Amino acid sequence: MGAVSMVGGGDEGDDVVTPGELLGDSAHLVPGRGAYLAPNGRSVRASLTGTRRLVPPPPGSSDQRSVVEVVGLKAHGAVPQPGSIVVARVTKVMARIASADIMCVQSKAVREKFTGIIRQQDVRATEIDKVDMYQSFRPGDIVRALVLSLGDARAYYLSTAKNELGVVSAQSIAGGTMIPISWTEMQCPLTGQVEQRKVAKVD
Amino acid sequence: MATTPMTYSPSQGAERRQKQQQMRRMSQELDWKRSDGRSFHQCRPACLQTGATNAASGSAYAEFGATKVIVSVFGPRESKKAMMYSDIGRLNCNVSFTTFATPIRGQGSDNKEYSAMLHKALEGAVILESFPKTTVDVFALVLESGGGDLPVIISCASLALADAGIMMYDLVSSVSVSCFGKNIVIDPTAEEEACQDGSLMIACMPARNEVTQLTLTGQWSTAKTNEAMELCMDACSKLASIMRSCLKKSANLSS
Repeated sequence: MGAVSMVGGGDEGDDVVTPGELLGDSAHLVPGRGAYLAPNGRSVRASLTGTRRLVPPPPGSSDQRSVVEVVGLKAHGAVPQPGSIVVARVTKVMARIASADIMCVQSKAVREKFTGIIRQQDVRATEIDKVDMYQSFRPGDIVRALVLSLGDARAYYLSTAKNELGVVSAQSIAGGTMIPISWTEMQCPLTGQVEQRKVAKVD
Repeated sequence: MATTPMTYSPSQGAERRQKQQQMRRMSQELDWKRSDGRSFHQCRPACLQTGATNAASGSAYAEFGATKVIVSVFGPRESKKAMMYSDIGRLNCNVSFTTFATPIRGQGSDNKEYSAMLHKALEGAVILESFPKTTVDVFALVLESGGGDLPVIISCASLALADAGIMMYDLVSSVSVSCFGKNIVIDPTAEEEACQDGSLMIACMPARNEVTQLTLTGQWSTAKTNEAMELCMDACSKLASIMRSCLKKSANLSS
C-alpha cells in the first residue's frame, strides 16, 4: 500500500506472475506448486501471485523437462498437510484421546489454530494397547507430532509414535519448566518431582 | 449531484420520480450525454489497491467512480465444527453494506442475494482442491454504493483472493452494461441503473476466456445480447490487465 510511485530498478530478473498468466509450454515445463496445466493440455499457467522459479530435472530421470514453480510472496498462513511435522499444545486429555491445538506447521506459525487429536494407538510404537493417556500428556504440554491424515470433520489425526516426537516442553505441577530425564519421565527443577510423559528425543 | 436539501421534505419523492422520468426519456435518444461526461462505451476510471487491511490474509480496496468497496479474505482456516467433512475446500462469501453506503440510510440491505452471487462468480475460479477440509472466508463491505456494485465487488474480491495467496485458475473481472431502448451503456452509475430497461452482468476469467457468471435482466434480442457480451468481454480483459498491474506493483513495493 502507499503512494503509487514507480520503483525504478527494483525488479531485475524477478518476474512477478499473477494467477492465470502463461508460464510456458507443457512440452518444456512440468507444473509444480503454484502452477497448473491448462485444460487444453498444452500451456502451463500460474495459480498464485509470486515469483517464478525453475527447478531443473533430477539427472537420470526419464522426463527431462524442468519443473516450474511459483513462490508466493506473502507469508501464506500454513495449513497442516498429511506427513508434515507440527507443534501443538495439548488442550484436553481423555481416556483414549488427547486433543491438541496445532500452532506451527514445519516451523511456520499458523494464523489461526487447527484442532488435532492423538489417539491412544498413535502415542507410541510399542505396546499400544497399554498406553495410559494421563501418563503421556497433560493439558498445556507442547508436543511435536506428525500429521497422519486429514482426519474427520472436527480434527486432524496426529501421531507421536516415533523417538523424536512427543512432549517437547511441559510445566510441572509446581509451575517450573521440566527437564527430560528419560523417554517416559520429566523432572521439575524446583521440587525434584518426577512426572510421566511421552518425551521427545531432541538432539 | 443535485442539491440535497438540509432537512427532510415529503415532496422529495415526487421530485425524484420526475427526474427519473425525464432521464428515461432523454436516454432513449441516440445522442444522450451521460451525467459524468463519459461516452456509452467508456468505463469509469478504476483505482485498485491491495493490502488494505492488516489483520486479514489478503485484502483489496476498489474505487470505481463513486462506488467504493473493501474486501478482506481470511483463510484457509478451520471450518466450523458443525460442518461436515469435505475433501475439497469451502468458500464462504458475505457482502454487507454500511449504513452510509446509500443516500437513504439502510437502503442497501435490500441486496441480500449479492452474497450468493459473489459465491457463484468466485467458486469457478478458486482451486478448491488445494485446501481440503478448510474454509476461505471472503468478506466484502460496500462503503459507498454508486452504481454497478456487484461487478466491483467481484473484481475486488478476486484481487483480494490473489493477494491472500489462494490458488486460483485466473483472476475474475466483472463488468455490467445497462440498456436504454436502443442504447447500450457500459458501467452504469446509480442514477442510470435506476431508470434502465435491462442489464447484463458478466464475470469472466479473461486469460482463459471463460465466463464464471452471467446475469441478464429485462428483454434482450439476440443481436443486442451479442453486442453487449462482446463489449463486456473486451472491458473485462482491460480491467484484468489493470488488476494484474496492481498486483505486480504491490508485489514489487513489498519486496
